[in-house]
This record gives sequence, C-alpha cells and structure tokens, in this order.
Amino acid sequence: MWLGLVYWMSFFWVSTEVTQGIAQRIFYVHVPAAWTSFLAFGLAALFSAMYLWLRDERLDRAAVSAAEGGMVFATIMLTTGPLWGKIAWGTYWTWEPRLTLTLLLWFIFLGYFLVRSSTENPEKGKRHAAVVAIVGALDIPFIHLSVIWFRSLHPAPVVIKPEGPTLPSDMLMTLLMSLGAFTLVFLGLFLLRYSLENFQYEVNTRSRHASV
Amino acid sequence: MRNYLSKINAILWKDLVVEFRTRERFITMAAFAVLAAILFNYSLDWISVSPEDIAGGLIWMTIVFAGLLGIGSTFHLEAQDGAFHGILMSPVPKDAIFLAKTLSNFILIYLMALLVVAVFALFFGLEIGRNLGMLAVVIGLGVLAFVALGTLFTAVSTGTRMGNMLLPVLVFPLLVPVVIYGTSATSQLLAGRSLAQTEGSMRMLAAFALMACFVGSSLFRFVVED
Repeated sequence: MWLGLVYWMSFFWVSTEVTQGIAQRIFYVHVPAAWTSFLAFGLAALFSAMYLWLRDERLDRAAVSAAEGGMVFATIMLTTGPLWGKIAWGTYWTWEPRLTLTLLLWFIFLGYFLVRSSTENPEKGKRHAAVVAIVGALDIPFIHLSVIWFRSLHPAPVVIKPEGPTLPSDMLMTLLMSLGAFTLVFLGLFLLRYSLENFQYEVNTRSRHASV
Repeated sequence: MRNYLSKINAILWKDLVVEFRTRERFITMAAFAVLAAILFNYSLDWISVSPEDIAGGLIWMTIVFAGLLGIGSTFHLEAQDGAFHGILMSPVPKDAIFLAKTLSNFILIYLMALLVVAVFALFFGLEIGRNLGMLAVVIGLGVLAFVALGTLFTAVSTGTRMGNMLLPVLVFPLLVPVVIYGTSATSQLLAGRSLAQTEGSMRMLAAFALMACFVGSSLFRFVVED
C-alpha cells in the first residue's frame, strides 16, 4: 500500500513540477522503467549463475521472479518509448542503442520463459533456462558495442534529444523520485512473486508427501 | 592435451563420416541457399538497388537461415536409442563433446557458407576474386560464432516440446553482433575497399567467436547433465 502511495505521489508531483511540454513527462516513466528492467535482468542472470553453481532451488525461484519483473518493466519501456518517440522524434521506432538493447533483452528473456516452461523435464528446464539467462547476460555488452558501432556508421536522420545534458534540479528530483518508486515497485513485485513460488513449492512438496 | 584432442577427434570423425555417407544435411542446406538466392532475385528491385550494396547482408541472412536448418539436427543421432547417455557415460569431458559437435557443425556450415557466397556471386555478378582469402576468413569467423551458440542452444531446445521451433528465438538476439560485423566486413571486401576498416570488424568477430566457444563449452555440461 505504501508502494502504491509513493508511486501515486511521484505521478502527482510530476504533474505539478514539469514546466516543459506535457508529453515530455513520459520521461519519468520511460527512463526509470528502463533502469529497473536492466537491474531486474541483471539480478536474474546473477541468480541463474549462482543457481547453477550452488544448486539451491531458492535461487532458481529468485531468478524467475526477477526475470518476470524485468519483463514487466522492459515492456513498459518498449511501449512508452515509441509513444514518446512519435511525439518527440516524429517516428515510432528508431534503432537507437538503448531501445534496441532492451528489445533484444526482452527476446532473450522470452526465450528464458519459453525454455523453462516447455522443457519435458522441469528440473532440466530450470537449468536450461539458467543457461539462457547467463549467455544472454554475457552477450549483452557485445551486442551493445556492436549496435553502437553500427549506428556510428549510419547516423540517424533525426537526432533530437528531448532532454538536455544537464537536468534542472526539479526535473532531476522528479526523475529520482520516480526511479525510487519504480525500484520499490519492482522489489515489491519480486518479493511477492518469490513468496508465491515458495508457496507453490510447498504445496507441491506437501501434496507429494501426502499421496505417498 | 593430446588425449583431449584425440577424444574430440573421435566424436568429430564419427559425425563427419555419418554426414559424408548420407549427405542429407548438406544437400538440404545447399538447396535452401540456392533457392533463397532465386527468391531474393525476385524480391528486390534491381533498378533502384545495386547488388554490391546489399550482397553482404543477403549472404549473411541466407547463411543464418540455412545454418539454423542444419544445426537443429545436431543431436538427432544421439537422441535415438539412448545413445546420448552412452556418450555422457564415457570418459569424454562434456566440453570436449561440445567442441567436437561445434567443429563438425562448423565444417558442414562453413562449406555451405562458401557455397552461398559462390552462388550469390554467380547470380548477382559479384566480384569475389579481389579479397578471396580475407572473405574466407571473415565468413569462417562468423560461422564459428554462429555454430558455437547454435550448438549450445540446440542442446537446450531439443529437450523442449517445441523443439527446433524454439531455436531461432534463442539464437537470433545473440547473433546481432555476428550480423553487424559480418555484413560490414563482407560488404567492404566485396566492394574492394581498403582493409583497415575491415580489420576492426574482423577483430570483433574473432573476439566474439572465441567468447562464444568458451561460454558454450563451459555451460554445455549444465545443459546435458541429468
């Protein structure tokens, strides 16, 4: 409930603080969503690596929870991005490195969930999914480098940056508030999802013991 | 070290002999490549586009699609009759199995890739004679990276209900660097530009290929263990 309050507060605050055009306020949703999704995916990859190393089931549950949270925020970024882009840049999509990277991350983790749910043997599925997450995370720097290099060869026709290099203090504060709110929402989602996975595991174990 | 290499050699030789006897995978991929080139001819407007501009991209996309077809059946032989359990129980280390499979796939798909380049040069009048050696190296590095990642994820996707349909979803995002650097280097070599720019792409391709092989061989045992 407190999370919801903080989130609502940051929306409220945004409405009263921003002095530029109204559409630019998507910035306070879009950018924190991006950062939170990167945090979430990074955690998912880290938990996956630790799961393969330590074989603790809880780590796999944590990885799934983090990956789901990451997908949510990546989807937010990928939908708010084009909406904002249409207004600010005049085009829905551009092969800007950050958008491209998030799109590819989204697909890598789509693969993560597909592998995890469609493997014949569920135990194997968890391990295979962890491998997908790790390879994805390791490849991201390479992909990012190559995309930036590609764009340096092919400069975009429209290079307008909606925000200047230095933010006025009130916009910076709003941005940080929003980032804090989003991170809290993610942590909340993560903990909820993690406890849900734990309950699921308990139910499965108990029903198996009961039927024995 | 020699023992390790001989183990790799054993599996590699088995796969190559099997493939050489039936030639099914190679023929299917080769046919795909030629037919794709034919369709490309009809899908592009040759008045507004010149072949040299887009050949690099077309070549690499054809290699990727045809290669994906061939890589999907890497473990088909082992999946039958529990043969894979046999290999896992043998004293061959898992990363050696991975490297052997990757090398056999590499030889197969590299030959197919060279065929793709030859077919595209024939159909679209490309000048490949100028930098043939460098071109072969660039194609080789890109195919190596592709094959390393493809072999790892084929092992993953073979165990799923969706099987090989899942393979593109897993592999395509990771192939972005290969496509970017590969097409850039190939286009420059086909156009006969100076080698300075191409060397940068080649170095990145080589680094990526090395990393892919290393990551693949390290993570393979997590995929195949019971």
